[in-house]
Amino acid sequence: MAPRYQNRIELLQGTLDLLILQTLQWGPQHGYSISQAIRANSGEILQVDTGSLYPALHRLERQKWIAADWKLSENKQRVRVYRLTATGKKQLLSERSRWEQLSDAIAGVLSPAKRGQA
Amino acid sequence: MNFPWQHRNKQEELAQELQGHLQMAVSERIERGESVTEAAQSARREFGNVDLVQQVTRDQWGWLWLEELLQDLRYGARMLRKNPGFALVAVLTLALGIGANTAIFSLVNGILLRPLPYYQPDRLVQVTGFYPKGAFAAMRSQIQSMDVAAYVEGYEFNLTAKGAPVRLTVTLVSADLFSVLGAPAETGRTFRAGEDLATQNNYVVLSHHLWQQRFASDASVIGQWINLEGVPRQIVGVMAAEFRFPSPQTDVWIPLNIDSRNTVSYWAGDFMPVIGRLRPTATLAQASAEIRVFQSQVFSLFPWPMPATWNAGVAAVSLRDGLVSDLRTRLLILLVAVALVLLIACANVANLSLARGAVRGREIAVRVSLGAARGRVVRQLITESIVMAAIGGAFGLLLAGVGLSLVKSMLPADTPRLAEVTLDWRVLLFAAALAILTGILSGTAPAIHASRPELTESLKAGSRGTTHSASQGLRRALVIGELGLAVLLVCGAGLLIHSLWALSHVDPGFRSESVLTARVTPNESFCDDAGRCFAFYRGLVRQVRSLPSVTNSALISTLPLGGRVQKRSVNFEDYLADSAAPEPLLWMNAVSPGYFQLMGIPLLRGREFAEADTSGNSRVAILSAETARRFFPNQDAVGKHVQLARQKDWCTIIGVAADVRGYDLRRSVPQWMDGTVYLPYGPGASLEDGHIPAEMTLIVRSAGSQIQLEESLRRLASSLSDDTPIAEVRPMPVVLSAAVSAPRAVTSLFSAFATIALILGIVGIYGVISFFVGQRTREIGVRMALGAQPRDVLKLVVREGLSLALIGVAVGLTAAFALTRFLGTLLYGVSARDPLNFAGVAMLFAIVALAACYIPARRAMRVDPIVALRYE
Repeated sequence: MAPRYQNRIELLQGTLDLLILQTLQWGPQHGYSISQAIRANSGEILQVDTGSLYPALHRLERQKWIAADWKLSENKQRVRVYRLTATGKKQLLSERSRWEQLSDAIAGVLSPAKRGQA
Repeated sequence: MNFPWQHRNKQEELAQELQGHLQMAVSERIERGESVTEAAQSARREFGNVDLVQQVTRDQWGWLWLEELLQDLRYGARMLRKNPGFALVAVLTLALGIGANTAIFSLVNGILLRPLPYYQPDRLVQVTGFYPKGAFAAMRSQIQSMDVAAYVEGYEFNLTAKGAPVRLTVTLVSADLFSVLGAPAETGRTFRAGEDLATQNNYVVLSHHLWQQRFASDASVIGQWINLEGVPRQIVGVMAAEFRFPSPQTDVWIPLNIDSRNTVSYWAGDFMPVIGRLRPTATLAQASAEIRVFQSQVFSLFPWPMPATWNAGVAAVSLRDGLVSDLRTRLLILLVAVALVLLIACANVANLSLARGAVRGREIAVRVSLGAARGRVVRQLITESIVMAAIGGAFGLLLAGVGLSLVKSMLPADTPRLAEVTLDWRVLLFAAALAILTGILSGTAPAIHASRPELTESLKAGSRGTTHSASQGLRRALVIGELGLAVLLVCGAGLLIHSLWALSHVDPGFRSESVLTARVTPNESFCDDAGRCFAFYRGLVRQVRSLPSVTNSALISTLPLGGRVQKRSVNFEDYLADSAAPEPLLWMNAVSPGYFQLMGIPLLRGREFAEADTSGNSRVAILSAETARRFFPNQDAVGKHVQLARQKDWCTIIGVAADVRGYDLRRSVPQWMDGTVYLPYGPGASLEDGHIPAEMTLIVRSAGSQIQLEESLRRLASSLSDDTPIAEVRPMPVVLSAAVSAPRAVTSLFSAFATIALILGIVGIYGVISFFVGQRTREIGVRMALGAQPRDVLKLVVREGLSLALIGVAVGLTAAFALTRFLGTLLYGVSARDPLNFAGVAMLFAIVALAACYIPARRAMRVDPIVALRYE
């Protein structure tokens, strides 16, 4: 575990929200599976701290971008399942485009030559 | 928004949710092949501190605001405890402002705002005109949009049941008055339709208080007969204690005596106010329109021409507005004045807070540099000032309670709805809202200022704190505003005091000193036998004159400024009646010989009545000067003739008396009357209904004590006749001063507010100058070290103070110049823009500002340069 820990990247503020919304786009999930999905989809690089995940989930819920229900899991466990709301979908779109702008911009700064060609 | 009482549940759910997370992590690890203990350990390690996660998640829930608020409140209370001086001054200032506002608002609430205590009060209307019985009867049968009722208040009847006769205040009502108001009787019944017609109206409804006091709350009185003013009447009902229409003074309600065969009483008797209840689908506008149409047609019903001006512009207004009519302006003026006082109080507290903000700059700078958000600091500071205002509000409410009973005792007793004025929930709500508003008003500017410290400056400046020039500018602006408002209020108070002085020094036209008045109140039927009536009064006057210490005595039917008028329509010789005044309406006074001499009313022409004039053999009259001028312009009225309407004899005018302010201190007669006529109290002095006045006021000029004299009068009256009680005994100076009680109340209140404003203004300017000196101690030290004299220092300080004061005065005078005209109707004998008043106020403020500068200036002059320079 230790070496992988060093590879982890500190998430930019606001990025976690985007990741959560994106993850929920594929269907309702509970907190644990969201964190597992983010970890798996980032190739084990992004590991979401529970201390960040749950505040983020509850904040997004308050902003009504996601909603939560109690359900029974396959192994008969009561779990809190989050799903994306309509406003959440809109928010995801706008955050995605913002993120793309940002990453384009940063990429441009990092390799100006490429930009000149384009 | 979530509230703390919901969060217990939520907290358990969160714990479950996190627990679930942990369990899933563990079971996944076990599936991957880890041992149970290993899996539990590593999952927990990866999860981190469960409590911490719970806590940071909880912070997202949004009831945080409440916790922070509580924290702010605690912190605010602690800050106030640590600065007791500041807290005391600020809280007292706010308590004064909020208390005064709450007291006046209680009046406004009770009199202007609170719905009338009747069924569906918003459907009740008042017709603004006044109608005799005949016109009312026509209105009752014609008007479709509402049910109408009429009443006459102010009658007094003698009740002779058992024991000594009692004088009762009576309201005559049409039979439908109670049903229009929607007020059933508490016991028994009210009047039925038709019970206000002649010969069918021998009924009476008792007020609750009379039933308690006179009839021992005995329910069996219903059906009993009592004798009122010599007429037997059957008690049919008792009203509830809350029913006080038209005023709490009413002891009994008696049906009107509507008698179409008695032309005079039917068309020329009392002109009555009319109220109505809108029928289910009708609107106020419809009622108004219908009344206007009715008014245009009613003239033709009268058996004689009516002046075109009668009830001109009649309308239907809401009953609540109708009842309080002219009181509204006075109350609103007081409300504005007291609101200005609160603004000044807010400015003052803001100023104090700014001064303290400068001192607290360092504390705030530390908090901001430790990462406190600016919004959070601002909120903290505003919360502090709201805490202060809330404490001020609580004290203010106490003050309001005391103040209100004081104000109520100052207002004239006949103020409409005064009995309904209390500190009710609306008032409490108002006070609470006011406290919060005050806190925000007085806290926002200082808070925003304080939260914007220049960090490095503040932290460097040691314990002294900083002055930011912007804050100093704001403080000056506040003081200038405060002074401006104070100047405005003091200007207003000056004008009102001037008016009150002018009113109470108005020459009423008679000499009131050492004159005692006593109302003699026999039953109306007492003068059915006119000869007996005259004999009684003649005997009374003769015997009173023979009392020791009495120099003179006379009679008048309606005492000047006594609150009653007697109307009489007349015809003048050679006077061409026009349609506006077909029969001039005069105030008729029946007086005994010697009245003018006793009252010191000079006769400008002719002579006073003599004993022989009372016989009725030759009809004579005296006019007041303005009446003579109006109806006999450029002629000598003496020798001309006047005829009482519906009488065949013409009276010869034998004299012209100087004018008397009889109606109020501004006017001799009410607006709807055309003049004054005096008749000798004798057979010729018949009222509109043909009767001789039975009730007379005895006036006595005497050097003796009032109590002794009163006793002698009562003894004399009862020795002459059994049923002639003496009602009110009042010295004439008391009657005179009662005539200014309403303006006196308004003026006193307004002046009290102006005084508070002035004091707050002084405190404000004193605060700013003290602060100015404190901030400049070092500069002053340097100046003195370089050879400046105390005089120069004094000049520096005074210049600062005086410049503030002068700008404030300029602002205030400009505002006063624009606004004092709203006092218009309350002013008497002074112009709203009286230059003397304005100049005086300006002088007052200049002097007061100088005085306020004195203490800080002295402190500045005593600055020891060495100490001042070493200080930093």
